[in-house]
Amino acid sequence: MLLRIRVDRHPVEPAVKSRTWARNRLIRDGIYRAIHEQMRTDPSIYVLGEGAHMKVHYDAPYIEKDFRDRIITLPISEDGNTNFAVGASLVGVKPIVDVISSDFLFRTMDSICNTAAKLSLISSFVDQPKTIVVRSEFLFGGPSSGQRVESLFTHIPGLNVVLPSNPRDARGLMKTVLTRPGVTIFFEDRMISDSGTKDSDLDDGVTETIPIGKAKFRHRGDSLTIVSYAIALREVESVVEAQDVDCDLIDLRSLYPLDYETINSSVTRTGKLLIVEPDVTFAGVGAEVAADVSERSLPMLKRPVKRLGAPRTLIPVSQDLHMKMIPSRAEIAASIGELLS
Amino acid sequence: MIDELGLYERMLTVRLLEEELQKLCLLGEAGDLHFNKGQEAISVGVCAALKPTDYIVTHHRTIAHAIAKGIELKPLVAELLGKATGINRGVAGEMHFTYPPVRYMFTFQLVGTCVPVAAGLAWAVKNFLNKAEIVACFFGDAATGNAQTHEGINIASVRKLPLLLICENNGVAGNIGREFYLPTETVAERALSYGIPARTVDGNRLDEVVDAAGKAAGYVRENSEPYLVEMMTTRLSWHKQGMPDARSKEEIAELAKRDPLLYEEKRLKMTEGEKKQLVKRVSTRIQEAIAAGRVAPLSTFPEPG
Repeated sequence: MLLRIRVDRHPVEPAVKSRTWARNRLIRDGIYRAIHEQMRTDPSIYVLGEGAHMKVHYDAPYIEKDFRDRIITLPISEDGNTNFAVGASLVGVKPIVDVISSDFLFRTMDSICNTAAKLSLISSFVDQPKTIVVRSEFLFGGPSSGQRVESLFTHIPGLNVVLPSNPRDARGLMKTVLTRPGVTIFFEDRMISDSGTKDSDLDDGVTETIPIGKAKFRHRGDSLTIVSYAIALREVESVVEAQDVDCDLIDLRSLYPLDYETINSSVTRTGKLLIVEPDVTFAGVGAEVAADVSERSLPMLKRPVKRLGAPRTLIPVSQDLHMKMIPSRAEIAASIGELLS
Repeated sequence: MIDELGLYERMLTVRLLEEELQKLCLLGEAGDLHFNKGQEAISVGVCAALKPTDYIVTHHRTIAHAIAKGIELKPLVAELLGKATGINRGVAGEMHFTYPPVRYMFTFQLVGTCVPVAAGLAWAVKNFLNKAEIVACFFGDAATGNAQTHEGINIASVRKLPLLLICENNGVAGNIGREFYLPTETVAERALSYGIPARTVDGNRLDEVVDAAGKAAGYVRENSEPYLVEMMTTRLSWHKQGMPDARSKEEIAELAKRDPLLYEEKRLKMTEGEKKQLVKRVSTRIQEAIAAGRVAPLSTFPEPG
């Protein structure tokens, strides 16, 4: 039996007309600058995903201009797309798969956890370990739009989880994950508007790479350690700066590997720990931080560890209400006051 | 020129190796393996029709594919037994092993995953490596009920990828019959919806498999677009060791009349004496591999990731 229907198709990338776009997405700019820079030196880097071409056109026209052939637009089949990217990695492609919304990552749990994480490790026994980057964003929108899924991936062997809080870190971390073997889930927190960062901050000619698994002090002090990341970190930072709090403020940047050393050395000195996370606290990254500190530094603690996080509920449709899921500056200030009293 | 006796020997190797491995399953020295018994003509025939430089990606019933693509017996057996001397240090095992030196790219435990992975591989071979090689992807008829199969074929068709899709239609999914997962008469007719050519052949006849796979591979190579060959076959083993079959003994005995080895023995007009000699030679190699695997050191934990 021979079955056949002919359909003429011309799979070409869509032509997109230029138009301006609001410029408050500088973490994204940091990510794209790193991708562009690495694409220039490494011909095996490709950007794949649903609407990939369209997105690059709007967000990073310089990548479209220089590497149009290395942007691959795929259908709305997130799980299949990620498996596709893993297949391409088997002969040396370093794919950056854009899974757009963090909520779509639930669809890709299989291709990321069962396929990418396992193949990358097993490949290392016979061949080169693979470099695969999965990009995703925390958006606004409602119950299944903007969910915090970072801690789920930190639990899976073979995966790195990166979540920068500012454009420069985004650039440096993306450069790193594209130059080392491994599978990385690279999050972009779109709750961070970054109106304070200028384009020139990213075009400073500095091509720094930031190691993953290394936290960063955003503030130094001796009376309290605050551990945070992403949008929550930015909220804490504004409180700490406004009130000049005598504290260490640690930006985790990588959620796996986690920088236990920096956290414990700080807590050992201050004796107090406040964890502020944008995710629900139950079984979250903060729980891991608290558990590790209790194992290594409990005798040094002068107060019980305190955690602030998001309520375990549906994400509201209203953006204003959604922002209120993140621990507020008032809450953060109150917790700081309580721990310092 | 196809070495027909050589191909028969490969099928026989799979059959006899699986019998020996089954003994080790019963002794607890091997896990519950998924045997290929009754489906050997497909992997052996397709791999013979491919060029050695072509790639294959497979499902989890795959000891046959490993031998068909030319993985050596000793390191293969060691891998299946979880030993450090295995092709993947005994870490990957039956359902996850890979061996790029012979272009056996990966085995997938999860049904359907092999299809989009094979599509991505085919895309990279064509567009990144700029090579004319093709990728053959083996999957079962039950995998067509899984979204990954659909997503993979969909992308492969849209992107015109050099992907040879081999559907091993054994009419069962684990222990359930086709009435639970296949709404169409054949899997081949599903290809219509992807706009790709397809045909159905008897997968238990080695000569038909080689012929159909050869023509389909030629089409894929020439046109750079997917082609689906559905190969009707018979699973004569249980779904996996330790999971008794829901089908009756009579039912399986009926299927065994279509045993691809019997068909090939008849076609090659093999005498009892010739077969005995062949069995003896193959058994010796298998015994060596099994013996080496049994005494090899256990695998160790890989570096935590």
